[in-house]
Amino acid sequence: MSSQTQIEETLDLSKFFDNLWVAIVWDDPVNLMNYVTYVFIKLFGFSKEKAHKLMMQVHTEGKAVVASGTREEMERAVQQLHEHGLWATLQRDDHGPV
Amino acid sequence: MNMVYGQPYKEMTMGQFKGSAANADLSVALSNDELHILINLVEQLLELLGERNFAHHYQSDDPFAQLMAATIGNLESPIEQPEDPVLRRLLPNGYADPESAAEFRKYTESSLRTVKQKHLLYLREQLVFPVDHELPKADIAVTDPTQWLIAINDLRIALAVRLDIDQDGFEKYELMKDSDPQKHLHAVYYWLGGIQESLINHL
Repeated sequence: MSSQTQIEETLDLSKFFDNLWVAIVWDDPVNLMNYVTYVFIKLFGFSKEKAHKLMMQVHTEGKAVVASGTREEMERAVQQLHEHGLWATLQRDDHGPV
Repeated sequence: MNMVYGQPYKEMTMGQFKGSAANADLSVALSNDELHILINLVEQLLELLGERNFAHHYQSDDPFAQLMAATIGNLESPIEQPEDPVLRRLLPNGYADPESAAEFRKYTESSLRTVKQKHLLYLREQLVFPVDHELPKADIAVTDPTQWLIAINDLRIALAVRLDIDQDGFEKYELMKDSDPQKHLHAVYYWLGGIQESLINHL
């Protein structure tokens, strides 16, 4: 293996780690449960079951990771969640791919 | 999240939706009083969101308007989090870290405000039609249920922040005296929750 290839592989690896950003939705006392479920289905194309499960996670645990991807993708997701009145932030993923 | 909704205020007929979005025959019946309450709330929130928004100038085709917006809006400097608690909730930070949050806000806050204004302006248009035409009772054909839904949700968020409504809000509301002027505002909040719930059930 040439050193050039090794460098390229290292670059690919760094790109992989850069992908690991997550969008988190936080609980709030206002948003209705079925509204939150509706928003998850609309924005992320989840099944009703998955959207409901994530909504319940937000409700009972105070937050849930709802999407993962590149930083740009997660910024867009958070922006859309804000457009729908949900309280969301993005951050680097601490726990590996979702 | 809120599990209690739709406790109708006794003087309100409770805006119930009929038909369905899928069949494109969704409509909502509202009394004149209800229309006026909603229009008033929409206009107050529009006014609040209107502060510090230069996005419409950026999107303008007029180069002079764009230049003015760039100067007044000053995209070079970071935009601070709004001071008003309602705006803080409607235009929240995208990052926990303040520096990243400020950077994110610089590029997104204006368009977020514009989207929210667009929903509210649309809702206002739907609500003022029966008022302007002096119809005795409104039966509004809902042309864009999603915009209704998001606009109503933003109104509920704004009211909840102003009224300091938390998880126990409904119990507190029930214990309030009828003579308490705040009780009416709380009633409007739960009435809006009922409207939203009804709308979701008809999507």
